[in-house]
Amino acid sequence: MWQNSKPYWLVLPTVSVIVILFFGGLVEGLAHSLGYFPAAGQLDFSTRAYHKLLSSKDFWLSLWLTLRISFLATLFSGILGMGISLFFLRNQQRKSRIGLWLQGLMNLPLVIPHFVGAYIIVLMFMQSGYLARILYGFGLIQQFEAFPVLTNDPRGWGIILAYTWKEAPFIALMIYPVLKNIYSNWLEVAKVYGAKPWQFFIEVVVPLLLPAWTSSCFIVFDFTFSAFEVPYLLGITYPQMLPVLSYTLYTNGGWERMPEAMAINVVLTLITALLGIMAYKLSRRWGMPGGKS
Amino acid sequence: MNHLYLKGIEKGYYHSDSDSFELNIPQLTIQEGELFALLGPSGCGKTTLLKVVAGLLEPDRGEVWLGDQTISKIPTEKRGLGMVFQQALLFPHMTVEANVAFGLKMQGISKGVRLEKAKSMLKAVGLSGFGDRFPAELSGGQQQRVSLARALVTCPQVLLLDEPFSSLDPELREEMRDLLKGLQQDYKLTTLLVTHDVNEAFVLADKIGIMKQGRIMQIDQPQILYENPNSPEIAMFLGAKNVIYGQLSQGVFQSGSFKLAVPGKEEFNQQPGWIVLRSENLKLCPVPASTKFSQINRDLILRGSVEKSVFSQGSYHVTVQMDSQSVILSFPADQSSKPGLGEVLELTYDPQALVFIPEY
Repeated sequence: MWQNSKPYWLVLPTVSVIVILFFGGLVEGLAHSLGYFPAAGQLDFSTRAYHKLLSSKDFWLSLWLTLRISFLATLFSGILGMGISLFFLRNQQRKSRIGLWLQGLMNLPLVIPHFVGAYIIVLMFMQSGYLARILYGFGLIQQFEAFPVLTNDPRGWGIILAYTWKEAPFIALMIYPVLKNIYSNWLEVAKVYGAKPWQFFIEVVVPLLLPAWTSSCFIVFDFTFSAFEVPYLLGITYPQMLPVLSYTLYTNGGWERMPEAMAINVVLTLITALLGIMAYKLSRRWGMPGGKS
Repeated sequence: MNHLYLKGIEKGYYHSDSDSFELNIPQLTIQEGELFALLGPSGCGKTTLLKVVAGLLEPDRGEVWLGDQTISKIPTEKRGLGMVFQQALLFPHMTVEANVAFGLKMQGISKGVRLEKAKSMLKAVGLSGFGDRFPAELSGGQQQRVSLARALVTCPQVLLLDEPFSSLDPELREEMRDLLKGLQQDYKLTTLLVTHDVNEAFVLADKIGIMKQGRIMQIDQPQILYENPNSPEIAMFLGAKNVIYGQLSQGVFQSGSFKLAVPGKEEFNQQPGWIVLRSENLKLCPVPASTKFSQINRDLILRGSVEKSVFSQGSYHVTVQMDSQSVILSFPADQSSKPGLGEVLELTYDPQALVFIPEY
């Protein structure tokens, strides 16, 4: 009996922590979003916060900004990640010392925390940052104000830049083994049958890489969509990305705005889950014989 | 003219003194329509040579000629070759039909024509009706058939085969050999096959080149090669079990106290070398040689005791120790009961079937 149940008892502490912290947090957040706040004496459930949120212009502006930033950051890091991965592959074949050094440099963002990355972007790209100073030093700009506003800007370019810099190596790392497998297995075959390098890329690499690339991009999109620290450091006060708006409402809005803050988190969770399901379905469709690719 | 000619091909890999490899082929001609097999153990350089021909590897020196023009500087994709690899390596995201038509698509042939050709080639390899399937839905043998169809559909100038059936089970391998041989003869394809499988080379090839450590040791037709190996290594690689070093003098081969009569080789005097005594050339004496009923020439009798006896696939494979030498013979299990260990056997052999390889 003990032998049979032993594995379950052994994993129980870990499972308990996950269930209490993760699912407990989800349930509590959902309850708060529905107006259940025992600490504030609110014990009734209602969908008032959701009605208020969905009829708020601020919410829709924030949602649009969040989607836009997440989409652009994902697109840029997806393309850059593919480029880096191809560079790794080329570098692996040639084994040059400079190439290896560059490869290490490209992997560096993986070990740097997001908020440090955001701070680096601020230091590099603000109007009085290092890049502006270098350009000014070389006489390429006449005054610091001539440098474009790339941090704390209304369009979120600083955030996009930070996520692109941080997530491109992640995508590269995710697709590199697949890319390597494709090249080692099918490049010679395609060459023998008359495919030029670009034809091989279009006909073989892209369709075979698409499932792994799409999955990686979905992960990046979901992360960017619900992340807080980078938009908090690099964003502006209005409009804010959804996670920042939720934080602002929760900390500065008083008791009556807290359900709205939690409703935003629930909406974020739902959209993220929906995207996850979509990614899973798409990867299944592409991964199966007879799939789209 | 689609004969293939290799001239002065050299390709080296140098890692360390003990771990370096050099391919060196002074010249090799494969006639138009001929199936030439490069036969050798793993790591002897046969796949390297095949890749040099395909243009997938650039040789350090030498030229590859196809007909009367050199193709050394032509990139792989423009050489117009067909190749079947060890694994089928079909594109997993394409249907069987699209896989077969891939080479035609790369040549810019219209969709209708290329799919029509793919269909008829699939029919030729016995896979009619499989066109809409995906590679993952086929067995290993079917995948390799598709791979063969993909190679043949472009009407290649030369067909290159890199151990194409090594990943298949024995029964399927035999079926694929028959299919390949038939198609190769139908299309009169100049074909270069590399394999480590002696049986495969002998069944398929018009001519065989034995490779060892980056060099071709001997080239000939299968039967001639089998009957006249020019080195003991080749004899053993081709399956000879008893290759014995000794000295041949006036028609008698001697190795220690072990002696064999080799009539017709009287021109050799104290010539060191190897005698090839094939296990199928050794036979059990039906009647003890000492009896008056025996018809066997007593000079051709070998006597020894059984050291090891193994039954495999309907035959006994017996190691017999005689004087200073042990020999292996094989005979069908229905000819005699299994010889017991230590049992004394009398053997005879056909002296005309002995091969002497002199040492120079």
